[in-house]
Amino acid sequence: MYKYVIRRLLLAVPVLVLSSLIVFGLMRVMPGDALTALMGESGNVGEKELKKLRADLGLDRPYYAQYLLWVWQMVSLNPGDSIFTNEPIAVALKKSIPVTAELATLAMILGLVIAVPVGVLSATRQDTAPDYAGRVVAVSGLSFPDFWLGTLVITFAAIWFHWIPPIGYVSFWDSPWRNLQQFLLPAAVLGYRLSSATMRMTRSTVLEVLREDYVRTAWAKGLEGRIVVYKHALKNALIPVVTIAGGQLGTLLAGTVVVETIFALPGMGRLTVEAILYRDYPVVQTNVMLVAGTLVTLNLLVDLTYAWLDPRIRYQ
Amino acid sequence: MAAEYPSETAHKHVNRRDFLRRVGWTGAGMTALAAGAGRARASTQASAPYPDWVPASPKPPKRGGVLTRASAWDPPVLDPRLTQSVGLFQFAGLTSSRLIRYAFPEEVSGSTDLTLKGDLAESWQASPDHRVWTFKLRQGVKWHNVPPLNGRELVAADVKYCFEAYAKEGVQSFTFREIEGMETPDKYTLRVHLQTPNVLFPQNVAESVTVIFSREVLEEDGDLKKRLIGTGPYILKEHTRKVRVVLARNPDYYDKGRPYLDEYIILSAPDDATRVAAFRTGQSDIIWRASLGDVEVIRKTNPAAVVQEYKNVLAPFGVTLAQDRPPFNDVRVRRAISMAIDRQKQVDTVFEGHGIPGWGVPYIYYQDKMPTLAQLGPWWQYRPAEAKKLLAEAGHPNGFETTLFYYEYFPQMTSQVQLVQQDLKRNLNINVKITKMDYTTYYGRYVDSKWDGMAWGFQSGHAVGLDERTYMYMHSKSTKNFFRVNDPVVDDLTVKLRQTPDRAEQRVITKKIVDRELDQVLRVWMPYDNGFVVWQPYVRNAASLALRRADGYGSPTIARVWLDK
Repeated sequence: MYKYVIRRLLLAVPVLVLSSLIVFGLMRVMPGDALTALMGESGNVGEKELKKLRADLGLDRPYYAQYLLWVWQMVSLNPGDSIFTNEPIAVALKKSIPVTAELATLAMILGLVIAVPVGVLSATRQDTAPDYAGRVVAVSGLSFPDFWLGTLVITFAAIWFHWIPPIGYVSFWDSPWRNLQQFLLPAAVLGYRLSSATMRMTRSTVLEVLREDYVRTAWAKGLEGRIVVYKHALKNALIPVVTIAGGQLGTLLAGTVVVETIFALPGMGRLTVEAILYRDYPVVQTNVMLVAGTLVTLNLLVDLTYAWLDPRIRYQ
Repeated sequence: MAAEYPSETAHKHVNRRDFLRRVGWTGAGMTALAAGAGRARASTQASAPYPDWVPASPKPPKRGGVLTRASAWDPPVLDPRLTQSVGLFQFAGLTSSRLIRYAFPEEVSGSTDLTLKGDLAESWQASPDHRVWTFKLRQGVKWHNVPPLNGRELVAADVKYCFEAYAKEGVQSFTFREIEGMETPDKYTLRVHLQTPNVLFPQNVAESVTVIFSREVLEEDGDLKKRLIGTGPYILKEHTRKVRVVLARNPDYYDKGRPYLDEYIILSAPDDATRVAAFRTGQSDIIWRASLGDVEVIRKTNPAAVVQEYKNVLAPFGVTLAQDRPPFNDVRVRRAISMAIDRQKQVDTVFEGHGIPGWGVPYIYYQDKMPTLAQLGPWWQYRPAEAKKLLAEAGHPNGFETTLFYYEYFPQMTSQVQLVQQDLKRNLNINVKITKMDYTTYYGRYVDSKWDGMAWGFQSGHAVGLDERTYMYMHSKSTKNFFRVNDPVVDDLTVKLRQTPDRAEQRVITKKIVDRELDQVLRVWMPYDNGFVVWQPYVRNAASLALRRADGYGSPTIARVWLDK
């Protein structure tokens, strides 16, 4: 197992190097730079002065020098400062990661809480009204984009209930109730979408497992339906569900970009989008690498979970 | 002014809601065009059912309360030397004073009053040749009582230091480099020597962006990116990026008894639907709406909301031509292009019959009433046959190929660009290849002024003053001359304007500049819509003034806002 983990970690290195080269290259291919964005429409800055300011920001160095400097900063866990705001990137991340982490975790929890029971219900009540309802809910979740759903939720909450989540992020530790008010709706929007694919996968795998011989045997032994479904069938049906739920993490992180914008949450998504628009190279690069690293790690964790779910699986 | 002024929308980047709206607009614009082809044309400026001026409340102001506004913009940095973004200046004018300011809503009787009032300066006077300006400062003005200033008194040397820093580097250097030298004969007197005479210099130091910052912060931090300490009515209590800006009442403000509010909180809300929802639920007290339809949507849930129609006195956007090279260096080509564009159609369809046909210099500087399309002269009327003839005379009977790049500041703009493309193809056989860009790419390319063909150009958002709107934007030597105007007559007139103290004569010269611009089609202005400022019924004295919207560059007027609840 340890050898497997080490091998997977070593394999992650070229993935991360390639990611770093791609994001570095793409940012440099985009026209304009942070200075252009910062100056607004003033037009007051002369060519000579712009040159000096670019030199101050290190934007005049050769690309390879900029890349190597950045890689060194990443390796030494000091990603440097934002060239747009001057704020240390570590500080910006420290503020935005908890927001996205909280949103993603709540969305994941809500997603699974909806997906697994509804999926199981659909499977055990196949072709009945609850199954049709569950399938409609799942297909709707796949069809409604986050931005549409988020906008509808915030608009109709304002019209019908004269209430929307309080704007102006407050951390959980400062005010748990206010923080939960701010996160529940956006997490529900993200979680609903996330739950749809998982729900469908749960339904189909549970249906499949319910037709296995050992399940029939369990029924034949006179076991309670609840025990047959949840103890014998569900655990064995969960491997593909875990795979799909793990794979959804990328989608989840992408969804936070939109949902954070709609619900005015200052997370990684908004930080990255703003940095892209302002050509804040180090911030974009660091964020992308962080997301890449997170996905690589989570994929590994998902793979390791298989052994827990199915003891027959061995890692070599 | 999000839609009125480019820089106020500069950082309102495309989000999914914008995307939806623009898709809708593009379709709607085309549909409206087809549907409206045979109908009678509306007046260029159809009137809205809302007043364009809301007078100050006659009641005595109440102290206290918190005003909140959900805002699309975030300040990129707090350094006024480095940015003129509306994200910063939606509140910098509240934390920091200027030497001179424009009148507040309660001091005027209409939105177009441009009277100058003293802010830090009690009085100001020019030498007979208008090269030396002497400002007498108020005594006893204190910096905010926070370290490292700790409430020390502001003196003339502070202003001198600040102006020198502006001239040295950053986005305001062009404005302040006309200063040859400064002296401070005593603690409360600042004498400014200009390179050339300029009767309009006081207007330049009254612009919302020319705030006085503190020497100590710049010297301690090396920049002003993190701390904004001034002498204004509010103290910056909190600035959390992408979350909120909190301004707290300055108890030591020189204007005793003011401001009235305890706090002014600006909440970062980049999504339009969120801002609307925030207004509906009372989380936001002021909101700007682009169209009458948008206002009516809000009034369904908030019928008591107060609405002010925000009438524009200029058009901020137009087609910029590379007029320093062929074919646009030929005035006949410029005139033909202008005459081939149906501006009224844009007003009728894209702006629902509610907008201005487009001109560049604020009309309030040269006439009392808003110009009509007819008053703009022959080259601004839609005359496709004459346009074609003129283009043929210029040697392009079969049209030509060209390019146009733009950044979509607001959803309607894409429809406008497409209508111009259609008009030029149909009427002049000019094939325009359109490139839509993101803001940073667009801006970098646009101000570089080395591009060929055409661009959808802009004039800066913050400016109120006549000097800024004429000399700074049209003189051939100005770095802000984005439209690449190079006309000796305009050069002479804009310089002459700076040397003419008499207000009536100024109006005459300004009119000459405008006439010359319109005759030579130096900037091809495009129609633009009026917007609406909407506020909660308990908010008092929140009316916006021409070129100064209270939720944008006109933010200093918040100093007089109070809550009647």
